[in-house]
Amino acid sequence: MIQSKEILEILPLVILAFSATIILMLEVFIKKSETVIFGFSLASVTAAIVTSFLYLNREMILFNKYLKITNSAVAFSVIILAGILITIIASKNYIEKEKINFGEYYSLLLFSVMGMFLMIYANDILVIFIGLELMSICFYVLAGFLRLRQKSNESALKYFLLGAFMTGFILYGIALIYGITGTTNLSLIYANPKIFTNYVFIIGTGLFFIGFMFKIGVFPFQMWIPDVYEGAPTIVSGMLSTAGKIAAVGTILPIILSLNILNFRIIFSIAAVATMMYGNVIALAQTNIKRLLAYSSIASAGYIFVGIAAMNEFALQGIAYYLIAYTFMQLGAFIVVSLLEKKDDGSREYKNVDLDYYKGLGKRNPVIALFMTLFLFSLAGIPPFAGFWGKYYLFYAAIQSNLIWLSVVGIMLSLVGVYYYLKIIVYMWFTDSDEYLIGEEVSNSGLGITATGLAVLGTIVFGVDPNIFFRIFKFIIV
Amino acid sequence: MLDSYIPIFIIITISALFAIVNVKLSSLLGPSRPSKEKLSTYESGVEPVGTAHDRFSVKFYMVAVLFILFDIEIVFLYPWAVSFLNLDHIKMMYSFYSVIVFIVILLVGYIYVIKKGALKWD
Repeated sequence: MIQSKEILEILPLVILAFSATIILMLEVFIKKSETVIFGFSLASVTAAIVTSFLYLNREMILFNKYLKITNSAVAFSVIILAGILITIIASKNYIEKEKINFGEYYSLLLFSVMGMFLMIYANDILVIFIGLELMSICFYVLAGFLRLRQKSNESALKYFLLGAFMTGFILYGIALIYGITGTTNLSLIYANPKIFTNYVFIIGTGLFFIGFMFKIGVFPFQMWIPDVYEGAPTIVSGMLSTAGKIAAVGTILPIILSLNILNFRIIFSIAAVATMMYGNVIALAQTNIKRLLAYSSIASAGYIFVGIAAMNEFALQGIAYYLIAYTFMQLGAFIVVSLLEKKDDGSREYKNVDLDYYKGLGKRNPVIALFMTLFLFSLAGIPPFAGFWGKYYLFYAAIQSNLIWLSVVGIMLSLVGVYYYLKIIVYMWFTDSDEYLIGEEVSNSGLGITATGLAVLGTIVFGVDPNIFFRIFKFIIV
Repeated sequence: MLDSYIPIFIIITISALFAIVNVKLSSLLGPSRPSKEKLSTYESGVEPVGTAHDRFSVKFYMVAVLFILFDIEIVFLYPWAVSFLNLDHIKMMYSFYSVIVFIVILLVGYIYVIKKGALKWD
């Protein structure tokens, strides 16, 4: 039975939905509304973070069993909101610089977060599907937001076509699951373990997971990532690679846990190894920093899948921990790239995104170079930064599950990754370039630097005291 | 379990073969005497002007997209309106407010579309 007061149990969702629509109205009714909208969206994301904490340790099933609020869902949603908060703070200067300062940008961001929340809170496959579509459609538009740039259009079109194709996979999977179980409700599906060995059910869940592996960017469904992240506005690339992936992982994690998939552990292991290898090895040859970060995000998806293959208590903590570390460091790196990007001069190209531009950055702009160095150290997995503990928990979990070969291969491949992260650091501090002038970049972007500072803070705080996260969310999944 | 599908597979095979064999046979056996009239696009219609691969204004797309958007509204509202009176009191009020929220969201979209000038034709 639905009760009207249940709406109070999903306050973060309601807040996001309302503010996203109000932003649209502010955009059309107020002239020079950019600053108002920026402040408003910042306030509503903060409000959503605060209200999310109300639902800690209160497991609830709402709206005719369509939504289910668990601790893990709250944890994932808070991680997403933290990423979005940093994204919004960093966006203002960037979209002013690129002359795409429209209110719709913030509105689309908030709508996509709402989609992610629906996915994570869902207790029904169709609700997951609706959330996924809401998120994806906002992403397609955001990827093409720099509409005068060919690269941005290319990225949006590629993302849209491939994403729509993968949506077909997910829908077909849902159809098969519904056909064999007669329900789309996850609780009812979990309650009937006999069905788990039925081959139609296995094909259905397989197709369902393929769609999500596409969104996470796991081999062999990763081919869209470099092109899309290279062409999308830089801040949006950062958001796609953090918030979007977290939402997809947060959605499939409880499902993988509840279905008994130990027999398929080998498939997840192979996918993890292939993803890590693909991301890390191909990143070595990149000369464009956005593409390099895209490949590094593919490698990160591989590390997350090491945890999914291990699938024990440590793995859950490891995945959650790695995701929060990953949010701060990956988003931070993308924000730094966006800060260094050259002002839009009508050339319809991204300027200053080559690795060569980073030569001698330490002399030209030591603060930004220092921030970038911290993010890259964290991505490479060097203690005491958060990225180290994330990888540590994940590989430890693999060892606990007797997947020693997997953790050995994973650690070796992540060592390959250290090379290209350190290459940028060497470029920044130990080489010179006389092509670029001192102080040419980073004018008038106080907010961008604030956002980078927040990301640095997250990277260091969670790195120095990794227990903070688990103290906040006494992490119990399902 | 798949046994029950065997008749379907058989009928798919037969119908595919039927279609292919007939088309092939008629092109092999039938007489072929092409003339200028027969090869024109419409043998007994208006002569085509220009090519179909022409560029046309993006305004058409706008109208089409907006039409679909607001058409969906009817798709949702009509079943609701039909079953509204059959609900008990609490569900009735609940569904009423749900639909109000739905319409308000659409209204916001509508105002946005008008204010942005998407419906201006020139």
